[in-house]
Amino acid sequence: MLTLAWRNVWRNRRRSLITIASLAFGLSAIMFGQSLLKTLQSQLIEKSTGTITGHLQIQHRNIKDYKFPERYIDDPGPAEAALKAHPRVKSFGKRIHVTGLVSSPVTSSGVLIAGVEPSRESRVTSLSSYLTQGAYLKDGAHGVVMGEKLAQKLDLRLGEKAVVMAQAVDGSMGAEAVRLVGLYRTGSTIFDTQIIYVPLATLQEVLGVGGKVNHIVVRIDDIMETDAARRELAETLGNQPVQVLSWKNVDREILGIQRFQNGLLKVVLVVVFLIVALGILNTLLMSLFERVREFGVLMAMGARPSWVMRLVLFEAASLGLVGAVLGLVLGAAIIAHYGRCGLHLPLGEAVSYFLPFPSTLYLRPAWASHAGAALCVMATSFLAALPPALRAGGLKPAEALRHV
Amino acid sequence: MSEAPLIETRGVTKVYDHGPGAAAVEDFSIEFHAGDFAAIAGPSGSGKSTLLNIIGTLDKPTAGEVLYEGGGVSGLAVEELSDFRLRSLGFVFQAYNLIPVLTAVENAEYPLVLQGAARAERRRRALEVLGWVGIEDLAHRRPDRLSGGQQQRVAVARAIVHGPKVVLADEPTANLDSKTAASLLDLMESLNRERGVTFIFSSHDPAVLGRARRVVQIRDGRLAGDSSK
Repeated sequence: MLTLAWRNVWRNRRRSLITIASLAFGLSAIMFGQSLLKTLQSQLIEKSTGTITGHLQIQHRNIKDYKFPERYIDDPGPAEAALKAHPRVKSFGKRIHVTGLVSSPVTSSGVLIAGVEPSRESRVTSLSSYLTQGAYLKDGAHGVVMGEKLAQKLDLRLGEKAVVMAQAVDGSMGAEAVRLVGLYRTGSTIFDTQIIYVPLATLQEVLGVGGKVNHIVVRIDDIMETDAARRELAETLGNQPVQVLSWKNVDREILGIQRFQNGLLKVVLVVVFLIVALGILNTLLMSLFERVREFGVLMAMGARPSWVMRLVLFEAASLGLVGAVLGLVLGAAIIAHYGRCGLHLPLGEAVSYFLPFPSTLYLRPAWASHAGAALCVMATSFLAALPPALRAGGLKPAEALRHV
Repeated sequence: MSEAPLIETRGVTKVYDHGPGAAAVEDFSIEFHAGDFAAIAGPSGSGKSTLLNIIGTLDKPTAGEVLYEGGGVSGLAVEELSDFRLRSLGFVFQAYNLIPVLTAVENAEYPLVLQGAARAERRRRALEVLGWVGIEDLAHRRPDRLSGGQQQRVAVARAIVHGPKVVLADEPTANLDSKTAASLLDLMESLNRERGVTFIFSSHDPAVLGRARRVVQIRDGRLAGDSSK
């Protein structure tokens, strides 16, 4: 039966090739979409966790807005001890994020002031890698690092002084003069114009909070272990007035974007599969009408209706298999090409308003998803063949033999 | 003639739903015996093909029944009928009806494929039968590279390869020139005489009917005569 099915597929070579091509192009388009989304999403996560959120954060237990923790951890010591002892933790750093003002002799600008532990922060996030001039912050020095654009707006040059101001916990206005030690350019409007970095100790002085921090940012060895590490740390720190959050809790927008993109891809998948199914259905129906008499002959010889149905299904499965294999090869070649040469996307520029994000994406394969799509193509071929197969199996031999 | 007939039709009637209402075959009773070389004769539209289809279990009678070796087949389920045809019947059609994507030997062996015979055995048997019909050397040609007469010989090989009880041939020579038709009849006759294959074939050609040892006449769906040489 397999021989007959395979030869029947190639009976009308052009029609089968068109069907196989539509399957292959459909699958490769789906693979491209899957790869693009995977790359986009993993870049988003990498950039978000690598520049601001980290993989985990420890914040005060009663905080509602995880992005801007409004309460302080009075004693970060136990959390630090737990992090040092945890095998999955690669690095961590204490932080205070607070809104305030940075002023130069010329003008001032509202900013998010990030108080960081310089030596630790550079092991948690990659901001220091975006430096274009000067150096990153040093422990124990009153320096400030800001974006080139912000410095330009403030008319500040390296070595010049700026004043950092924020409301202290007692309600007074705290201020500290800091020297501009480094300039960076991330390409992100928010990072380049609305965030400045000062040593944690400097900001603690401005705010009058002593040794308190409003979050601790953590990097673990493998992002895939984030949830496990979060659970373990939460258990360890269960008696402390803190909560352990993953990047998914802190940066919920990314999860929203992921869900939206995945939903969109599913719609595209359904549309592509419908087109594929209609193509297969059309091919098999045409083939069925051309071969009604032949099915009658097979039935006269003693082929059971179920055998005739299986023959049609095998033909569809052959089309689906060839289309899926070609689609996998074509899709893999496209992904490999854009993995090597990169794909310039305007989307990258749009995203980079919020995050340092490359406008050129180097696609990565998502093999599990690709294999799933290939299986769906084959399953679609099979399902689309059911109506013609049932029809062929339901033929009456004498009527089929009279068919012209 | 005391043994049970190979085939018996008892009061077979066939009325098509979509037809004008007249019966294509009406109250037709006849017996055929193993070893027959019989023709069903009648003009176009007389009901020859309908009768052959009913005898061949390809169509069900509206009334009456068909018996093989004394057992009724009209009540068998669709799948049982398929199995019955696979074991017991062979068909030869006017338009040859070979499967175009298979070679002559692959066409000839197909009933054995359906029976699930081992590849080597069915190939050996198909080549043997192609030898009987005189086209063993064309075994690996596809139908489009065979003449009409050669295709019909492959069809005969396909009809007898699995050793059926009877071969039913619906106007097997109608698409052949007279010389090729005579040659095919020679073949069928020799298979009947030498190998005991029972043939029932329909025709309206007097030259063909002249070769049959028994001629059953059908007119307007009714039995109009039954003569033996």
